[in-house]
Amino acid sequence: MEQSQPQQQQPPAGSLSWRLSSHPITLLTFLAFRVSSLLVYLFGVIFTDNMVLIFIITILLLAADFYYLKNIGGRRLVGLRWWNEVDASTGDSQWVFESSEPGTKAINATDSRFFWLALYSQPVLWVALAILAIVRLKFIWLPLVAIALALTITNTLAFSRCDKFSQASNIAGSALYSGNLAGSIASNMVGRLFTFGR
Amino acid sequence: MASSSHHYNNPHIEDEDDLIDPDDADLNDFDDPLSNAEAQRAPLTGNVGAQAGPSSSSSRPLNESFLTSRIPGDDRRAPQNTIDETVWETVRRDLLAVWSKMREVLYPRYLFGGSMLESGMASGGLRGAYANLRGAGLSGAREELQSLAGRVMDPEALLSQNNMTPGLRDWDLWGPLIFCLLLSVLLSLCGQPKQKDAIFSGVFAIVWIGEAIVTLQIKLLGGNISFMQSVCIIGYTLFPLVIAALLSAVGLPPIPRIPVYAILVAWAMAAGVSILGGSGVVSNRVGIAVYPLFIFYIGLGCLCFIS
Repeated sequence: MEQSQPQQQQPPAGSLSWRLSSHPITLLTFLAFRVSSLLVYLFGVIFTDNMVLIFIITILLLAADFYYLKNIGGRRLVGLRWWNEVDASTGDSQWVFESSEPGTKAINATDSRFFWLALYSQPVLWVALAILAIVRLKFIWLPLVAIALALTITNTLAFSRCDKFSQASNIAGSALYSGNLAGSIASNMVGRLFTFGR
Repeated sequence: MASSSHHYNNPHIEDEDDLIDPDDADLNDFDDPLSNAEAQRAPLTGNVGAQAGPSSSSSRPLNESFLTSRIPGDDRRAPQNTIDETVWETVRRDLLAVWSKMREVLYPRYLFGGSMLESGMASGGLRGAYANLRGAGLSGAREELQSLAGRVMDPEALLSQNNMTPGLRDWDLWGPLIFCLLLSVLLSLCGQPKQKDAIFSGVFAIVWIGEAIVTLQIKLLGGNISFMQSVCIIGYTLFPLVIAALLSAVGLPPIPRIPVYAILVAWAMAAGVSILGGSGVVSNRVGIAVYPLFIFYIGLGCLCFIS
């Protein structure tokens, strides 16, 4: 299982081992979805000449990966979730970010390392595959690569934004709490100091 | 507790009992500093520039929008906590959302209107129309047909209705993805072996580009619908065309195809128009807004017919 994951390129002594995870099944499913779409795209040609079949399987795996990462993996591994809401009267869409309460949930370090590594490495790999497809003049695969890029980059952007939001509001929450005890000006100072410190 | 800063600010303290908590007080009697913080924070999210004065400066660090200003967002914790739910709950909610969108397509409200709009029941319209037919006999049937024809002829009436139900406001791309793939696969099944790849990629591209163009048209005419929402709805309304493609793949002879496919295309159109038609386009331009939608459905219907 461990050899099949490209995230294992620099294993720093056990900390990226799935045995340390607190949600091993979630983690393994997540990594399996992430890797399988790439594997099917890369090596599907060996098993079948049917381009349509590879196309469909890759797209379905990408969609499943997107859904799993957004709705299940993200909140179980790192306690973050995002979605997009539409204002019915104006038609503007709005991003909504959700994060777990700071104290209630301990985020496993292994889980979060796996999560962020997989999250950021996937778009990079697809960009490399897009360049490869252009260089090898296989333009027929470009729509598939474009869909993959759109899905993975959306998730990556949204989750990094969600992480920033959760950190910002954690700091803000603590600043507000101390502010009610020590006075408003002090809290403002604390808030500024904290944001500069990061 | 949290209200103490206000008392320091104004020197006239009449009610000292409020400051000192009684010894036998329960934990629930106290002010909750966290909920108070939420209450202070709620009206402030979203408008950074509007606040002023020393009273609101204590909550200023909450608006960290200078950190994240590129995509305007909303951090939501308390009101709707979905972080700790089980996997089954997540999947179930999303499946229900998909089903509710499917139901909107299966019963197009534009044609079977009337009782639908007030009742809010998604299946009431069809049953209402059916009850009218049974109750009033022939004259009732004629009335029903007349009102149906009236609705078809009067697209402007769509503008006054708010057709966007809560289920349709949260878009997803499952419907467009699945139906687009099904349509492409079924149509490529009937093609010659050499052409299968070309048919598949062609239909796939036509569907997505068509959805984008129809949405762009509605947006340019001033519709207040978001891009993804429109793509989602058009994708779900492909369902009748998938049935048509399935019939073609099974090998329906050409003569019965004509009426069956006409009905299916009309069904898709009714569903699409009933949802998209009233999306805030400037009045007396509804026809222009939905015209590309007609072209889109008729084109795909013709593809199903000739394959």
